[in-house]
Amino acid sequence: MVALDHKGSEGGEHGETERVRTIIVAGQSSQRTRAVLRALRGFTNVIWPISLEAALAQSGSEDAGCLVIADDLREERIDDFLQEARELRRNLPIFVITDPDDVAEAVSAMRHGATAVIEIPPSYAVLCEEVARAMQ
Amino acid sequence: MKELSQTVFVVDDDDAVRNSLRLLLKSAGLSTEIAASAQEFLSNYDTAHPGCLVLDVRMPGMSGLEMQHELNVRGATIPVIFITGHGDIPMAVEAMQHGAFDFLQKPFRDQELLDRVQRALTRDTEYRARLRQTDRIRERLASLSPREREVLDLVTQGKANKIVAGDLGVSQRTVEIHRAHVMQKMEAGSLAELVRMMMAVAPQ
Repeated sequence: MVALDHKGSEGGEHGETERVRTIIVAGQSSQRTRAVLRALRGFTNVIWPISLEAALAQSGSEDAGCLVIADDLREERIDDFLQEARELRRNLPIFVITDPDDVAEAVSAMRHGATAVIEIPPSYAVLCEEVARAMQ
Repeated sequence: MKELSQTVFVVDDDDAVRNSLRLLLKSAGLSTEIAASAQEFLSNYDTAHPGCLVLDVRMPGMSGLEMQHELNVRGATIPVIFITGHGDIPMAVEAMQHGAFDFLQKPFRDQELLDRVQRALTRDTEYRARLRQTDRIRERLASLSPREREVLDLVTQGKANKIVAGDLGVSQRTVEIHRAHVMQKMEAGSLAELVRMMMAVAPQ
């Protein structure tokens, strides 16, 4: 697991007094995850790659700013995961990346607590706007 | 006041869809009202009427999403099931973010819609029951005197009578009397029940 600064290199120094919250990207080295990371390249403190289980543990941290679920998951698993994440942190913004036009999956994710669902390839502007709003 | 029975409202500009939905819902024993436009529905709809709403997204004039917004402005809590033949993810996300109960793409199986309608009706029943319960608690709270309310707030914070007496500058006996009145007026059988009541009406 590494934190990327805005240039995509490891590490990243932050001010000692200002807490920088993390963007947790749940996903391994799939095409989806890579597309998400490209879209988020302007952000500091992106944590990846990370399994769903590890993402859940990270989500409980006060430093967690938002969670992006990039992995291609079967519907039941993601719904359970969303419910667990919601129980852990009720107000944590959670974004789910889905296949284009998979409206049923998007609706299911929203019903189970996703803040928003974004199609792949994630539009740089849409994902950045959503994440930026979440990090405010 | 006589309680209204649950109704499934259907709003769709397509005659064929409206009629087939009406027949389907009727065949399942559900009371149904149909409207051909958002305006027609809104001009007759009373937010106190229990039920659920099956709403087409794309309609001439006011769209389904615009109608959902108008319902939210009116404070309506009716569960909304959107149906559409041309749905996409941003549209579904917008509808769900604004409180839609579900979003269904055409064509769908009859049973699929009936299952969702039943779930929506159950949700509406449960929500309205909770609302009635909190209304009753608020009515009981309003019947308390200012001193009884003070005692209620302090005892539900877990303070013992002796501490409450000290906080309010009265005798312990006086607190006990106020406390007994509070329990009676709130119709609470125990302190735990009283705490649950206060939690039910606490702002989220």
